[in-house]
Amino acid sequence: MPGIDESLLEAMRLPGARGASLVDWISGLALGAVGDAPGGDLEATAAETAELARHVAESGSLAPAGGTAPRDDEPPVEDMIVTTADSYHLLRFVSTPFDSTVFLHLWLDRNDGNLALARIRLAEMADRLVLG
Amino acid sequence: MTAGTPAWATHATTSAALGALAAEGATGALSGERGIVYLSEGRVVHAESAFAPDLATLLTRSGAVAPDGWWEAVDEGGRHHRVGRGLVDSGRVTAGALEVCHLGALFDAAYFVLAHDTRPRRFRPGAVHWLGTVRSVPVDVVVRESRRRRALLERIWPDPGIDTAPLVRVADAGSGDLPLRRGRTLALVDGVRTAADIAAALACRTYHTLVELRRLAADGLVTAAQPAPARDRPGPGAAVWDDPDTALLRRLRDALEAL
Repeated sequence: MPGIDESLLEAMRLPGARGASLVDWISGLALGAVGDAPGGDLEATAAETAELARHVAESGSLAPAGGTAPRDDEPPVEDMIVTTADSYHLLRFVSTPFDSTVFLHLWLDRNDGNLALARIRLAEMADRLVLG
Repeated sequence: MTAGTPAWATHATTSAALGALAAEGATGALSGERGIVYLSEGRVVHAESAFAPDLATLLTRSGAVAPDGWWEAVDEGGRHHRVGRGLVDSGRVTAGALEVCHLGALFDAAYFVLAHDTRPRRFRPGAVHWLGTVRSVPVDVVVRESRRRRALLERIWPDPGIDTAPLVRVADAGSGDLPLRRGRTLALVDGVRTAADIAAALACRTYHTLVELRRLAADGLVTAAQPAPARDRPGPGAAVWDDPDTALLRRLRDALEAL
């Protein structure tokens, strides 16, 4: 049964993975991190990506039509993908049965990473982190 | 150690005392004005504050762990300081979920201990929390995070009165479409409840509730019911931190009343 570190290490085994972290999107705190941080400063990266994730989580426009979110206490968005010239950033919201506001952030090298595979695996990891 | 004043007691703030204890690799419990920080070999393993819901509240009131299951785990593991391990081993909660919830509670309580960084009260060497070590965090990370959290609140809406006073909705202010958490928080603003009361009622971390309340205040939807007391350290009348044993008794009473 994985804890935070085991889940992040598992994410790092994906092809092209450069860094993985678990971040609180309201406070901007990184609860755990392995590998490198984009920009070289883990705390700054966590705070910046948290702000981005918060805007998306709170967006009414991006929510599924007709309030079809699985539960009313979950963010209406599942994941976010940011691409740059050399990287993919995959942010996956983690839903928990208690109060938490966290997402997994996986940083992939664009040459070696497989975005579609990583998206599926990261969703599975997010579920396993909480449900076992 | 030489006789006389221990190193931690020479410091004027709880954060500085924690730094000294971390440098010694100390194990024990440091009480500040607003709560307690537990150290194991110089790292923070837990924190508690009357201002922040504890792990039991977060896990049981949300329905993540059945109250009976929680108390069984406390009965079985409390004396051996391994309640956390017991919760995971018995399948009541996954290791990952417990870590996420525990870190949420730890940083939440630590914020209240450290945000108003006053003189530490006492250090009990060797004191171990009954939860046991779930995950440990370096002292400097906890201190830095508490400062960052305080600055974040100030950036959102610089009115600390929101954090401690009873809150009231602003009449005639249309709330429109609010994000889920903010709407849920606003629904409990009734002129009587404080931020900590609202957090407890929602089984939410108090700091995260403060963020929503300051955003609501910034949007002109919520204000403090009365002007914040003109003191350096605004203290809510009812929720003054007392000795841990009293706090435990109070929680037990609350739990019994909730049955």
